Amino acid sequence: MPDTPVICLVDDDSDFLEMEKSIFESRGWRVRCYTDPAAALAGLTQETPSLVVTDLMMRALDSGFSLARAVKSDPGLAGVPVIIVSAVSSQKGFDFHPKTPADLAAMHADAFFDKPVSPAALLSKAEELLR
Amino acid sequence: MSTESEPARILVVDDELGVREGCRKILAAEGYAVVTAGDGKAGLEQFLERGPFHALLVDLQMPRMSGLELMREVRSRDEDVVCIIITAHATIDTAVEGTRQGAYSYIPKPFTPDELLLSIKNGLERRALALEARRLRDEREKRLLELASERSKSNTIIACMSDGVLVINTDKLVVLRNNAAARLLPDSANRELPFPLDEIANRDVREILGLVIGSPGEFMILSREIPLGGATYVVSASPVIEPGGETSGAVAVFSDVTALKKLETAKSTFVSMVAHEVKSPLAATEGWLNLILSGMLKHDEAEERRMIQRSLLRVRTLRSMVNELLNLTAIETGNFTLNRRPVEVASVAAETAAAYAEKAAEKNITVSAAPPADPVPGVLADREALSIICSNLVENAIKYGRQNGRVDVRVASAGMYVTLVVADDGIGMSPEDRAKVFDEFFRARNEVTASIPGTGLGLSLVKRLTELHQGTVAVESALGSGSTFTVSLPALGSAPGSVPLESQTHSVLQRGRGKTEA
Repeated sequence: MPDTPVICLVDDDSDFLEMEKSIFESRGWRVRCYTDPAAALAGLTQETPSLVVTDLMMRALDSGFSLARAVKSDPGLAGVPVIIVSAVSSQKGFDFHPKTPADLAAMHADAFFDKPVSPAALLSKAEELLR
Repeated sequence: MSTESEPARILVVDDELGVREGCRKILAAEGYAVVTAGDGKAGLEQFLERGPFHALLVDLQMPRMSGLELMREVRSRDEDVVCIIITAHATIDTAVEGTRQGAYSYIPKPFTPDELLLSIKNGLERRALALEARRLRDEREKRLLELASERSKSNTIIACMSDGVLVINTDKLVVLRNNAAARLLPDSANRELPFPLDEIANRDVREILGLVIGSPGEFMILSREIPLGGATYVVSASPVIEPGGETSGAVAVFSDVTALKKLETAKSTFVSMVAHEVKSPLAATEGWLNLILSGMLKHDEAEERRMIQRSLLRVRTLRSMVNELLNLTAIETGNFTLNRRPVEVASVAAETAAAYAEKAAEKNITVSAAPPADPVPGVLADREALSIICSNLVENAIKYGRQNGRVDVRVASAGMYVTLVVADDGIGMSPEDRAKVFDEFFRARNEVTASIPGTGLGLSLVKRLTELHQGTVAVESALGSGSTFTVSLPALGSAPGSVPLESQTHSVLQRGRGKTEA
């Protein structure tokens, strides 16, 4: 990797934001944190990150999905991989957990994790997606 | 013979002593109870004094009162008395006249004992049969009357039931429909009974009744949840089975389950919210611990310590949430017992302010609880509950307060109420958030609040506890300009039947205050 990767983190729970920040910073990567998906999207269009890691259920139930869709439908951002990390994979009778690559594609994500995600698993998935 | 257990009683009236006594001997020998009289008038007297009699043996021609006259008198009082005429002047005319007056038969004099006994026996048998027939007729009439009134009672009850009832016969004709069913099926409400089931517009109702009636010999009960007139009904159809086992139709009962459905949804929503709210702090704690154990921090002790403290914070939040949930459940199930005594609200306010001074100092917030300027009556309250109310409000005010801000806790008298006001100059709330602030698990979510831990149960607990004390809680707030919560509790002495604070409760308050100062 020639440049230092820039990771965009979106979560309205500051604990997870800080946890993920520590995980990526331990690799020497740069991290930008957002608690609001709208602010994150605005930041993304200013400086294209290497990877987006977003929570699923923030202020609106599907704000993580909306953010992922916005990233993938923006020509300038479409190549940026998106990881969804969620504590609500089976909330309210919906099973968000993707079973097939097609499911993942349908949610405009490249990877999906249940909270809490193991630091090693998150890092190795991030490295794989950045390669 | 008579079906009555007593011996039959016979009155013999004849002016000839020989005939009188002869009859007595013959009848008494057969076990009858016999009374005699010498003329019509004496006969009537005996009848009135020593009755009732089953039979009357009467001579036609007697002094003072004739036999026919006596018969009329007797039968006007008891038409069941068997009258038998004994006469020496038996002619067709007198016999016809006697029968017209109601005599059963006549015996011409002279007669043999057997003739007399046979005549009496037949007469009494005839009387017994007539009585039995009348008893049966009376009973039948009585039963019919009861049946008719039972039936009209049942019809009235069915008509007035809040559940809808619809009955069809085996020809699929609607034969009974109560008021509620007519209201629920408005399309066919004006159809006169009986009318074909197919004319009922609701497909579900037609189907389940059709299925039940279409499987005779099977005891099939079908239930279906059907939306009707903006509500949800469970319609249950079952066969109408006659005592002989024959299926004669099907009955559908419509029960309104709207409230139950709402409750069910509310319960599921609540359980799912609790699960989510419990999962978040648990996941955060687990995440921090995973991170510490991962070795990624290269054993930076200060960093590890910070992370453990963050986990601890989430675990504490979880614990207070469980406590609040338990308290809320106890209030809902009526198991939250209030130990109500006269309490001075200002003393609780002062205690709470002192207890939160340290926490407030972290954000350099000043919490002040100045003693009220004018005397304030006490309230009849559970001191612990009041303390929970006050603590939750002060804690919220600090959590959502600004760095270097202030929180004011004021107690004042307001007519029949004592008010506890907790005001902050913090971030405030939007009108939308303000409307939901007392809902369970509601937390205002924005940039600023994202980093503030909370259960979303504190204010709903405040509301429930306040309402348990017949009080109210209100909030005034605007985004960016702080929030003011006002709890109003009935002042002691203002509610009927409560004890005036000054006279009876001062010592209690003194003791209470002494304890908190200690």
